[in-house]
Amino acid sequence: MNIIITGLITGSMLALLAISFSLIFGVARIVNIAHTAFYMVAAYCIFSLTGKFGLNPVVGMMIAVVVVTVFGLLAYKFLIDPIREHEAAVLIATIALAMIFQEAVMLIFTGDYRTVSALIEGYFIVMGVKVFFQQVLTFGVVLVVLALLWFLLMKTKLGLAIRSTAEDREVANLMGMNDSRLAMITMGVSVALAGFTGAVLAPLTVLSPYMWMEPLIMMMAVVVLGGLGSIKGSFVAAYILGFTEALVVFVIPKGAFLKGSVALTIMILVLLLRPEGLFGVSFEEER
Amino acid sequence: MVAAGLYLKRFYTVVRGEVLVLPSRVIVALFFLVLLGMPLISQNPYLIRVIVLTSIFAILAASWDLLSGFTGQMNFGHALFFGVGAYASAMLNVHLHIPPWGSVPLGAAAAVLTGLIVGIPCLRLKHTYLALTTMAFPIILMGIVFALPDITGGELGISGLQRISNSLIVNYYVYVGIMLVLCTIMWKITDSHTGIIFHAIREDELAVKASGINTTRYKLMAFCLSGFFAGIAGGLYAHYMRIAGPSTLEVSMSFTVVIWAVFGGIATIYGPVAAVFILFPLLEFVRFWPEYRMLIFAVVVLLILLYMPEGLIPWVRDKIEKECPRCKIRNVATRKTCRICTAVLD
Amino acid sequence: MKRVTFGWSFFVTLCLVIFMSVPVWGRTIKIGVIGPMNFVQGKGHWNGAIMAAEEINARGGVQVGKEKMNIELVKADSNEFLSMTDATNAMERLMTQDKVDFVVGGFRTEAVLPMQDIAMDYKKIFIGCGAATKSICDRVAENYSRYKYWFRGTPFNERYLVATSFAHLGLAGATIKKELNVPVKCAIVGEKATWVEGMIKAAEATIPKMGFELVGVWRPSAVATDVTAELSAIQKSGANLIFTIFSSSVGITFARQAGELKIPAAQVGINVEAQKDGFWEATKGMGNYVFTMNTYARGIEVNEMTKPFVETYIKRFGEVPTYTADTYSAISYGLVPSIEAVGSLDADKIVAHMENREYMVPSGKVKYQKDAQGRPTHDLTWGPGYLTSLGVQWQDGKLVAVWPNKWKASPTAPEVTYKGMVPLKLPPWMKK
Repeated sequence: MNIIITGLITGSMLALLAISFSLIFGVARIVNIAHTAFYMVAAYCIFSLTGKFGLNPVVGMMIAVVVVTVFGLLAYKFLIDPIREHEAAVLIATIALAMIFQEAVMLIFTGDYRTVSALIEGYFIVMGVKVFFQQVLTFGVVLVVLALLWFLLMKTKLGLAIRSTAEDREVANLMGMNDSRLAMITMGVSVALAGFTGAVLAPLTVLSPYMWMEPLIMMMAVVVLGGLGSIKGSFVAAYILGFTEALVVFVIPKGAFLKGSVALTIMILVLLLRPEGLFGVSFEEER
Repeated sequence: MVAAGLYLKRFYTVVRGEVLVLPSRVIVALFFLVLLGMPLISQNPYLIRVIVLTSIFAILAASWDLLSGFTGQMNFGHALFFGVGAYASAMLNVHLHIPPWGSVPLGAAAAVLTGLIVGIPCLRLKHTYLALTTMAFPIILMGIVFALPDITGGELGISGLQRISNSLIVNYYVYVGIMLVLCTIMWKITDSHTGIIFHAIREDELAVKASGINTTRYKLMAFCLSGFFAGIAGGLYAHYMRIAGPSTLEVSMSFTVVIWAVFGGIATIYGPVAAVFILFPLLEFVRFWPEYRMLIFAVVVLLILLYMPEGLIPWVRDKIEKECPRCKIRNVATRKTCRICTAVLD
Repeated sequence: MKRVTFGWSFFVTLCLVIFMSVPVWGRTIKIGVIGPMNFVQGKGHWNGAIMAAEEINARGGVQVGKEKMNIELVKADSNEFLSMTDATNAMERLMTQDKVDFVVGGFRTEAVLPMQDIAMDYKKIFIGCGAATKSICDRVAENYSRYKYWFRGTPFNERYLVATSFAHLGLAGATIKKELNVPVKCAIVGEKATWVEGMIKAAEATIPKMGFELVGVWRPSAVATDVTAELSAIQKSGANLIFTIFSSSVGITFARQAGELKIPAAQVGINVEAQKDGFWEATKGMGNYVFTMNTYARGIEVNEMTKPFVETYIKRFGEVPTYTADTYSAISYGLVPSIEAVGSLDADKIVAHMENREYMVPSGKVKYQKDAQGRPTHDLTWGPGYLTSLGVQWQDGKLVAVWPNKWKASPTAPEVTYKGMVPLKLPPWMKK
């Protein structure tokens, strides 16, 4: 039971992060290392808004998501778009961006650990297991957002454009889609989702300027495991890795610190059998 | 006397004809001279320490370039080779008392082995898949290091390694000398037949396959070669710091290597080396402003890439040299005609 | 671009030449303070050192032979949590650029070991104020002539940390038995770090001997952000006493989530985050009743020096000093008296003088140890009359001291009680 709950929560978080990361990769072929840094910025935004200015947490969350989205769009426009043709340069640019965020947060908030208070405090007991309300709330919100995202992608014109560009950029371009503008919009959606994840997760975690590193690795593992650009794949893989982590903690309590390593090993094993990930389509040899 | 004079004259002609004609070659020659002559001017231990560490990381960055820059096999876990080299040398030196001249090559051999182990499964992966998968390996190894504290020392690492030499100057020449030699070797490799195949794999693997070349073998070879040089860097680092710890395996280490290489310009070897020689001392230089050190570093990298997405060195090189449109020979930017075929340069 | 490299080296060389040719007017004693300056630990190093230097300079400086010298501090950011090379470079800089006479600081053991090596290369006294690993001091015993310039300033080594923790566990266990009248079931939760390994082994051996039942060992990652899984398992095991060993952010996570889930068990042990004033805010009050070892607490007097130090520190920096602020003791009570006694800055003479001294510091009395074969290790002596540290507990927003309160190190030893102790409180949700 414990395993299921912990796995569900971790999995949902990873799913949100991974899907948003996957989106921008699919549409614009941008490996955005700074993705989780946006998540960190959102968490710190909430910390300062609710802690220093005493705003309502819900309002704080909304402002945080908006702020992060604006940051993301600015970063895309001025730092990534001009060098999009050079894949390696984009990659480094996003790493540098993440470092800048990290250092800026460090300067403003120092390296001390911070926390954000929960929206609803307390817990209830399901089948002998104590569960935070905040966890349930987070889980519910994540599901709603995922559903919205699914709706956006599957039922709207924008979603169609995003999906088709992800499928084949050149043909989508030929069909008259504004590739650059679409990339911009996707970046916005993607970063907003990262910010949102940070916002809902903030009360459950400890804030530090280095908090973007760990989820970054797990997020990438999820994306690779599920298949790059495949949203369904990211969704499934997120839960697989989430449950794996939970299992490790319960089965070998002395090895709880190994959970990351075990999850990554599973990823590599799966990749050995299916090099394109669980649900990825093997790309045609790009020439 | 006469013979010596003749040799000198010949030497002068060679220098004039081969080195002085191109500013890039002059710079490389100056670079060698300055590095080798440095202790004659100043024996400041701090300066020497910075140069030695820079040299070690230059080898590392160049070895990344050899694999990822040339064959296009994006490796985001280069710290793996570095860490394996460092740990292997440290264990051999501390537990088995093998002196540095034995432990460093053996550590490099261990890194080559790791290159094989990692390379074989990874060859099935492409592009971003490969990049993200390789990133996982050092983290897994870190888990193992922490799980076996009796052998690896856990988070404390293995300390108390022997120094290569107790003399500051000898140490300096050993490290700088090894760096210069290894980087020249790497550059020669990329300039050889093998290097051309590496390059071709990056540009169009299918075409290389179609020409009857076993690309898998070459990719594996790139993994091993790169692992070898990175392993040496790791071993040297462990012996210099006298400790091999988990920090050699951290994600930030892998990232830093990529930053250096891309900043300097990939697929050049000299680019990453030069980048390390700029960025690492820069990081030391801004110590007078400690709070903003990393911020300055990141901003510099970002700005340079924004204006020179190909990397700094290729950009500089294109400014000071022109390629002859007819015979593809490089010329000083100030020349009007090609120095070989006299074609007009535009 | 290689021109840039050349230019840079040229520039540095030039700077050096100018720098070195300027004669030093008015000799000062230069003390390097090295630590992770962006973090609480480094700030503690620096604050403690500043306080010491200002106090000494205000009373006219240090009497070295016939001369009066002022203390000049040099701040060095080791960035040791992130980069080992930065740490060693910072140390090398202190040694050769800034030419300091003494160094205090250091925190992460992986960084302190190579930094120690560099300081020893230049035969400079390095007083470590942060790393608890015993092996750093073992080096002194093994190779005295090389490592004798190393002294431990704080904390005492991991073996004594364990011993103190057992005293704390004993106190908590006795309270549980008395108030709840149930047998004590103890769970061990230690972050995954090397310094914890030995402590866990010792705890596994000792806890059953103390009459407690050991129900399990959990090892979360040092930076884990979610320990609900571990907590559920601990609750299921029926533990009513949790021996915590945390030095990192997991200490906040664990305390906060345990408090929020009202896990019916007392948390006792080491939780470095809980030593800080910001802990209450960081756990949003959920860290109530967390018990941790600490060096200083408001209103507690180990001896007559404690109060002035703690109060001045609080006035100056707005918080209770953490243990890394013991750079203050290291400079004021360790180095300076020895310099004045020896009458020179000669490191060998100072070492010879310092290692045989016994002196009072705000947290107790310092006496450097010798190992079983009588070789000096420059490690700190622990025990009644020397350094004992405190046991502090968060009680409704205040960090109060609860140990040593009528504590006997052995049945025959004298009782130890420091001024200002209050009784230990168990979380009310344990009483059901």
